[in-house]
Amino acid sequence: MQDNLHEICGTGRAGDEPAEIELSDADILDAMRHIPGYLDITTEDFRTIYHLAHRHALGRLLGNFTAGALMRTGIQPLLAGMSLAEAAREMVRSGYKALPVVDAQGCVIGMLTERDFLRRFNVATFLELLLNARDGAFELTHRWHEMPVSAAMTSSVVVISRDAGFGEVVEAFRQHDGRSLPVVNSEGRLQGLLLRKDFISVRHQENL
Amino acid sequence: MMKIPEYLLKMRGTTRGSPPRVSNSEIVWSWIGAFLGIAAVAWVDHYFFKGMDLSLMIGSFGASAVLVYGAVRSPLAQPRNLVGGHVLSAIVGVICWKLFHSFPGIAEAMAVASAIALMHLTRTLHPPGGATALIAVIGSEEVHEMGFLFVLIPATIGPLILLLVALLVNNIPKSRRYPEIWF
Repeated sequence: MQDNLHEICGTGRAGDEPAEIELSDADILDAMRHIPGYLDITTEDFRTIYHLAHRHALGRLLGNFTAGALMRTGIQPLLAGMSLAEAAREMVRSGYKALPVVDAQGCVIGMLTERDFLRRFNVATFLELLLNARDGAFELTHRWHEMPVSAAMTSSVVVISRDAGFGEVVEAFRQHDGRSLPVVNSEGRLQGLLLRKDFISVRHQENL
Repeated sequence: MMKIPEYLLKMRGTTRGSPPRVSNSEIVWSWIGAFLGIAAVAWVDHYFFKGMDLSLMIGSFGASAVLVYGAVRSPLAQPRNLVGGHVLSAIVGVICWKLFHSFPGIAEAMAVASAIALMHLTRTLHPPGGATALIAVIGSEEVHEMGFLFVLIPATIGPLILLLVALLVNNIPKSRRYPEIWF
């Protein structure tokens, strides 16, 4: 029984679903004391039922989840050859703090984030940039009208497919600390952007 | 093929400690229920079946009382199992006696094993049913002579009386309810 269970639970996709609490015998016996009457079930059987039921419930709640259903569409991606100045204007207009960069075929080749800009100015945060600007210690000497997006972008980009499930999305957000993930189709072409805040609010609504 | 060490390891069990002891009130209500249930069967037996060759009281009702008054929540103690288990097992027992009575040992083993299989098949598993099937074979002369009447008396009427008492008694205390499932 126990071995079967490990087979079922142990090989789950990496980073799947919320962690399951392992119940001790003491936990189960205490619960049983709260229910009057003799319960003819062993703690081990109860644990097995609990694990399988938990799995079933997750399947029910998350089975229909796909990245494609939750992503924001209508994203105007940046092009690799754009200048940083153009890209900055695009990003401000879009309202997003990061935008995917695509090649001529529409395939995602990178991600340009606000942090990439900050790195160009040798500061870690906007507050630092603000302080430097106030103190006059900062000069906008960067040649960002000439520099292309491809030189500044983060090119080791983590993307997910449209039909990525809950576990894959969690794993993708775990792999990098960005606020959003580009969603791509099977050819790697950009389909939309999955925002971490959207993902978290959905999880919250489903009481997970 | 399972390896021998693995096979032997399974005999260690998985769980330490049995389910917790029930409360004192649970013990008292189990006692009251069992007393009234068995008393009711004995009373009906005395007033309605006295003088006949039929006996309403068989040993397996003691086992049923453990379940329906002592483990009220158990799936094994629910009405479907209580009545269905006894009735089906009695039928199996009588058939086994009729077919195999020249080989008592075979008849006994067939009766109990087949009763369990049938109860499983029909989702009426009730451990005392196995005893009822065995009694139909071991019998007494009277039981053997009853033939299929044994299915009605005691194997149907007895459990119905136990069920009636269980419904009346098990629903008195706040902490108990019966049944969980009718059918």
